[in-house]
Amino acid sequence: MMVDYEPVIGLETHIQLNTLSKIFCACKADSWGEPPNSNICPVCTGLPGVLPVLNELAVEKAARLAAAVGAEAIHEESYFARKNYFYPDLPKGYQISQYDEPLATGGTFELPLPDGSLRRVRIRKLHLEEDAGKTVQQPGRRWIDFNRCGVPLVEMVTGPDLRSADEAAGYLIRLRQLLRWLGISEGDMEKGQLRCDANVSLRPAGTDILNPKTEIKNVNSIENVRQAIQAEIARQRRQLESGGTIEAWTLDWDEETGTLRKMRSKETEADYRYFREPDLLSIHLAPEWRAQILADLPELPLARRQRFVEAYGLPAYDAEILTEERSLSDYFEQAVGALGGESKSVSNWMMNDVLRLLRERGLYAGQLRLTPADLAAIIRMVDKGIITTNTGKDLLAKVEDRGRRPEEIVRAEGLGQVSDEEALRALAQTVLAENPEQVSAYRAGKATLIGWFVGQVMRRSEGKADPQKTREILDQLLSS
Amino acid sequence: MTTALCDLPARELARRVRKGEARAGDILESALARIGAVEGRAPSPEAYLSQADDRTKVHAFITQTVDRARRQADEIDKRVRKGEDPGTLAGVPLAVKDIFCVRDTLSTAGSRILANFRAPYSATAVERLEAAGAVTIGKVNLDEFAFGSSSESSAFLPPPGNPWDPTRVPGGSSGGSAAAVAAGEAALSLGTDTAGSIRQPAAFCGVVGLKPTYGRVSRYGLIAFASSLDCPSIAARTVGDAALALQVIAGADSHDATAAAVPVPDYSERLEAGVAGLRIGLSPDYFRLRYPDPATGEVRDQSIEPDIEAAVRRAAETLAAAGAEIIEGVPMPNTRFGIPAYFVISRVEAASNLHRYDGIKYGYRHPGTVAEVSELYRRSRGRGFGVQPKLRILMGMYVSAEQYEQGYYQQALRVRTLIRRDFEAAFDPGGASRLDALLTPTTPTTAFEIGALYGDSVLMQYADLLTVPANHAGVPGLSIPGGLDHRGLPIGVQLLGPDFAEGALLRIGRALEALTAHEPWRATRPRVLEGLGA
Amino acid sequence: MPGPDEITPEIFVHLVHLAELELDPEESEYLRRQLNGQLRAIREMTAIEVDPSTPITSHGVPYPPSARPSLREDIVIPCDNADDILGQAPETDSRYIVVPDIPHTDLG
Repeated sequence: MMVDYEPVIGLETHIQLNTLSKIFCACKADSWGEPPNSNICPVCTGLPGVLPVLNELAVEKAARLAAAVGAEAIHEESYFARKNYFYPDLPKGYQISQYDEPLATGGTFELPLPDGSLRRVRIRKLHLEEDAGKTVQQPGRRWIDFNRCGVPLVEMVTGPDLRSADEAAGYLIRLRQLLRWLGISEGDMEKGQLRCDANVSLRPAGTDILNPKTEIKNVNSIENVRQAIQAEIARQRRQLESGGTIEAWTLDWDEETGTLRKMRSKETEADYRYFREPDLLSIHLAPEWRAQILADLPELPLARRQRFVEAYGLPAYDAEILTEERSLSDYFEQAVGALGGESKSVSNWMMNDVLRLLRERGLYAGQLRLTPADLAAIIRMVDKGIITTNTGKDLLAKVEDRGRRPEEIVRAEGLGQVSDEEALRALAQTVLAENPEQVSAYRAGKATLIGWFVGQVMRRSEGKADPQKTREILDQLLSS
Repeated sequence: MTTALCDLPARELARRVRKGEARAGDILESALARIGAVEGRAPSPEAYLSQADDRTKVHAFITQTVDRARRQADEIDKRVRKGEDPGTLAGVPLAVKDIFCVRDTLSTAGSRILANFRAPYSATAVERLEAAGAVTIGKVNLDEFAFGSSSESSAFLPPPGNPWDPTRVPGGSSGGSAAAVAAGEAALSLGTDTAGSIRQPAAFCGVVGLKPTYGRVSRYGLIAFASSLDCPSIAARTVGDAALALQVIAGADSHDATAAAVPVPDYSERLEAGVAGLRIGLSPDYFRLRYPDPATGEVRDQSIEPDIEAAVRRAAETLAAAGAEIIEGVPMPNTRFGIPAYFVISRVEAASNLHRYDGIKYGYRHPGTVAEVSELYRRSRGRGFGVQPKLRILMGMYVSAEQYEQGYYQQALRVRTLIRRDFEAAFDPGGASRLDALLTPTTPTTAFEIGALYGDSVLMQYADLLTVPANHAGVPGLSIPGGLDHRGLPIGVQLLGPDFAEGALLRIGRALEALTAHEPWRATRPRVLEGLGA
Repeated sequence: MPGPDEITPEIFVHLVHLAELELDPEESEYLRRQLNGQLRAIREMTAIEVDPSTPITSHGVPYPPSARPSLREDIVIPCDNADDILGQAPETDSRYIVVPDIPHTDLG
């Protein structure tokens, strides 16, 4: 009998915080692309006699994330602990992390699923720790770079609440969105700012037992996470269906070949011998500090998405796009405000032309010189017929490039729409005269050519012809 | 016969340099001459073959930083000539226990695993002393990684000898510190005290040893042994010198999150204020030793050496005559658990602190080819560490292993609370005793012979019985010379006080020092100084 | 629960492995005996009845708010001698620290 298996997936993520300095020393937190072992000091390389000193902002950012996932408790006193093990990229031979007295416990991550339902992913723990160095494989040896040692990390562990590789990928996408939204991390997996280990097991659908799980490590993109989990689910299914058992292996994903490799057995993993870090006092999150962090928490992405649907009557799809990134959503609201509440137009313009501009320039909405007020002004001019839509679209780039207000540019370049009937008639007649074949084809029944004629008039007028009026005139001329 | 420059108190040396009455360069030469006379051959990590001289000389210094010291002395003399402030310790010869990192000098921790380690930075305490004008003569010997009470376990042999009788130990782990100061090779030494490692050698060598309150002095640059117990400490020849040195090194440090943000008072201000009206306690728990027999495990209960007990009682009488109130029978019932709790707590922390010595980033790396990194770790650590570090690492591994953690480590931390409470009760202004200080012996015995206890870790550890409670509790402790025993060996008496009460301890110590200044035993000098010119 | 009172040769070997050490037979026996001697001393302490509500003491001294140093501000202060630190490594290549390989098993 074929058992219907359901995947049981938990994710352990490590999030690099975007503080300026490392968690326990004053080296730079971001040394991406720098020469190896250049961003180091005695503390982060574990020299004899050094001591850690905690970065205040790292605590604040971690607490902000805890608040955003609705942590049941953000503890007033929490403690660092030493996790002892030997590995070349761990200079002290222990990692300063948190163990049984973490910064926060509990919480829920809400993951919207494609079918419109909400997966409530439990957050088991959320704690601060330091990053280790990087290892580069060489033939028969390894090269170690300590630049990254000591970068502040938040470890966030979910319960086994995800049910497919796609959901896991979705979780990471949403998590990255939240991290950027809160301003605590770029969350770019390719740059190691967000790392993910996946715990995967299968169980008969509808049961709630937990079977032995494997752990997949070293997956460096969301897409690779999806593929690796899919491969592992398939492997476990094959194993179970052929009567085998699953052992608690640790697996490594080889991106080149798209295969899983066994790393080391979990059973022989060293006992970490956790004990409270004696070189640090407790993390004391005073009530006033905690209250400030909670008070400063912005409206979160999903809440804002919902509000856009309700307050602005946007379709779910539009709301999703417009709240994908925080400054984009702020921009939208400000533009709507400047346009006196006209959300549909703003939405159209933003989802098409503004987004294209942002993509082309590699910018966030918050970095544009084209302000929400500028966008509103452009939309207003188009709606009033002062300029054509095409002119309006071109104006976006012009304002962005020159930093001048749209009304100024329209004035300076004489971009005002041509609505004068005589002028338009003259242009239309020229176009028809120069294109007799198309005229015949039109009169023979190819009605779509009207668009082409309009386009020709637009071209000759350098985009300034009022398309509505042009079309009316052409209609008249062609039907006579 | 005038006193040699190198035998003068640090306070007097600094006064003379600041006034232009002496040159830092001359003081340095005096110290170097003394070293030449008493030091003997330098200890080394090469295979040890004992020589005749080994038990007649001091052998305190692993590294003498002569060129650097000359540059420092020149700089001070230049500042004085220019009328600039050369610092409160101007020209004072300083020996630094080789457990501290000093930039661009060998910082070995007395171990092969760091025998070639040239520190790229200096410890905060060293920087502060040097900024105050102290001249670092060199790095002195110690038990390897500060593990021990005799300085015999150093990888650098011969071990230091007690200047009073070089066939005997100077104590440990800061044996080189106490020996160098007692022999006049330096006026001050920066050492450490984790279970008594400055107080016990100070007692054995007849000098002053001051362990400040935990957190009073920054530990940045102190190669860690037991992070929650280690205290940078001072060895000096007078109480006033200890006060002067503490003044310089005490205070918060942005590199140490456990260095307390408690203001630093003027430790010299009330140094001569005397003891009238102070309440000083004696506890029966400090006059007895309880420890398990190493063969049978049976608990033995014995008194400390009679000469030592007598010295403490004489000190109490002296203080009483000067107006102090002596309170007998102060209970400190948890004293006896100090060593067992210490076995656990210090080993857990030490084992972890020693993880970083893996042959990869610095220090000794096994030179042969290895198949994989684990082999490199084992070979490097196996050959680089001596037996004492291995003992502590293995014990630390054992008692911190997850399944045993609740029983050993957590229990030890609770027992530590009990020890702390003994002190809180004794010093509580609203309690029964209301003490300003507790007066105790520093050690159960005077200096034992080299080789006598080494190898028996339990008996060796019990040498710290009377000093380790202060490390558990974090309170400050001062050991000062209190006489000589019937063999002519120094006896130390100890003062323990409330948190951050170093000023009071120094004041009481100074009173004792002044009141016994003319006692006959004060005229006796260490054996190695006999026959020297000055 | 404190562990078995005797560290047997088997437990001892496991500890040596955990600690990434290598010992010769003489050292091993000496160390094992010393450990067991210390355990006897420790037994005295573990046998004490400590009220379970007794808090642990981490540093001896308490750190009331007035004594706690403030946390570090998020400012970058580059180290002035990173190369001195790198220069301490026994073996380097192209600014990387070189170490032997780490075992890795491929899955079928």
